[in-house]
Amino acid sequence: MNPRLRIEFDEAEGALLRMLGLVERRGYQLGEVLRRGGIVEIELAPRDPSRRVEVIARQLENLVDVRSITILPQPREVAR
Amino acid sequence: MRAAAVAASLAPASPPQARSGARLLVEALEAEGVTHIFGYPGGAIMPVYDALTGSGLKHILVRHEQAAALAADAYGRVTGRPGVCLATSGPGATNLVTGIANAFMDSVPMVAITGQVPTTLMGTDAFQEVDIFGLTLPIVKHSFLVRDTADIPRIVAEAFAIAGSGRPGPVLIDLPKDMGVASAVPPLLKRAPLAETPLDREALARADALIAAAKAPLLYVGYGVALARAEPALRRFVERSHIPVVATLKGLGAVPTDDPMFLGMLGMHGARAANVAVDDCDLLICLGARFDDRATGRLDSFAPNAQVIHLDRDASEIAKLKAVVVGAAGDLGAMLDALAPRAPAREWIGRCQAQVKLWAARYDAPGQGIYAPALLKQLSEDAGDGAIFTCDVGQHQMWVAQHCRFVRPQAHLTSGGLGTMGYGVPAGIGALLAEPGATVITVSGDGSFMMNVQELATLRRYRLPLKIVLLDNSQLGMVRQWQELFFEENFSEIDLSDNPDFAGVAHAFGIEAFTIDQRSQVEAGIARLLGTAGPILMHVRIDPRENVWPLVPPNSSNVQMMEKGW
Repeated sequence: MNPRLRIEFDEAEGALLRMLGLVERRGYQLGEVLRRGGIVEIELAPRDPSRRVEVIARQLENLVDVRSITILPQPREVAR
Repeated sequence: MRAAAVAASLAPASPPQARSGARLLVEALEAEGVTHIFGYPGGAIMPVYDALTGSGLKHILVRHEQAAALAADAYGRVTGRPGVCLATSGPGATNLVTGIANAFMDSVPMVAITGQVPTTLMGTDAFQEVDIFGLTLPIVKHSFLVRDTADIPRIVAEAFAIAGSGRPGPVLIDLPKDMGVASAVPPLLKRAPLAETPLDREALARADALIAAAKAPLLYVGYGVALARAEPALRRFVERSHIPVVATLKGLGAVPTDDPMFLGMLGMHGARAANVAVDDCDLLICLGARFDDRATGRLDSFAPNAQVIHLDRDASEIAKLKAVVVGAAGDLGAMLDALAPRAPAREWIGRCQAQVKLWAARYDAPGQGIYAPALLKQLSEDAGDGAIFTCDVGQHQMWVAQHCRFVRPQAHLTSGGLGTMGYGVPAGIGALLAEPGATVITVSGDGSFMMNVQELATLRRYRLPLKIVLLDNSQLGMVRQWQELFFEENFSEIDLSDNPDFAGVAHAFGIEAFTIDQRSQVEAGIARLLGTAGPILMHVRIDPRENVWPLVPPNSSNVQMMEKGW
């Protein structure tokens, strides 16, 4: 099962693009992406099995607009 | 995460006074302590150039925007403060991209400012419109697009705080022309102090225990030490722990390269003593390095017998590529100062130092031609420890790393991550302005030199006394070396034998220059180079068949090194 991240972020210009671009550039295929306001949940499919979700989470955490990251144990949807 | 220093709480201005966005930008740069800007004007950035007149900022007019970014990069490396580059929209902005990527890959503090078409035209394919904000997303630490003139002072303050804090990097500010023209009364800024990351005492205690128990510990030092200005703490730790040191390309100088505990650069063109030590150690302590492929060779055979401790400013580097037993993120200097002393592992130290002696470089190359490693060694000795070397990329870059002496990392400016040919001369310009009075030497190759040759005009304009050593083998030497060794001598598109007369080119720019091609000319050539007050180019013809040794072949362990034949 692919890992999922829940990211809380400041809705600054380019923030979502920056996060999604980082995920793709760091070796993941984007699965489901659910966004509501300043929260986005992303399903990640690693292109290389050696990639670890803890590392991409920390790389995302370095982004200025990112407030917090949670690695979700199970797929879930943002409340609509 | 948002840097603590950027939290800008706003208070009423008194008395309110409207200024143009361009003026606000210039004032904000002055408030950050900026003294030099490297740039090139054009349509969309003209309001800023108008405001620069009469300001306290010294603008350095380069001849290509890429050079502005690379010079700002070098300025940032030497001073530790963000270098600033400025360009117009469209091609001006895209020409900055290589320099921004260079700074990103090497974690260099930089603020890049680009003009943009007016907001009313953005998205209409206007003249010289390009989405530089989008183009640079993967190669900046952060970026801003100015949407309100009144935000400019806050954005500039945030940009500098972000660029210079934590793991440094480039920050882009894209300024639409109308935002620079419009006037606004900005709110006052109140800066919040930087929040220090507390030391992870528990992790450091576990590191102490591993260090105390190790029979063959080794320090693996990267550029993170220099970025944290943690060289003094590192040297204190080496003194009280007696642990030998290897360094990455950009870590050179963190410990003086002739220190008895220094074993050399590790990796593809590293010293055999360094690579053997990594192979043999039982504890590898990584300080501000990132297990880059050029340093590690085959990662699964890198430090195969070692437990790994990794201390770094950037938590995302820890365990990114190599599993660690202890990892801690924070200020490297503080962490190093918190580590306990230990008794010397005498047998291990002796073994390491014996390898250094055994594999010491030789300079007695046969023939009468100029042997570049010997020339560089002598140049380094004659220039002294205060000199700053900037490099281009290729064989000469590796020879500088292998054969020059460095007592501080700020004296070795090299494009490590991106490997940008054309870095050397613009970096020399940046270094000369960052450290006026220093002897600055650019070592270039005939391939790299031509990529920013136009900057000879900048040297001439500002009378910058850069000393250029151009090692000319009439080939793309590193590519040729790989084609010789790994592509069955299928030499494809590496011939540069139609190079111009380099001394003649320099003369055309009004720069003193001369050519040498015999070993007997080296001593006098170096004396002339170092003894000349203004900019000067020494064109050095070398043997096109000369290779860089040793070499770790691709997909090999670092101890499977190929060595020179003689």
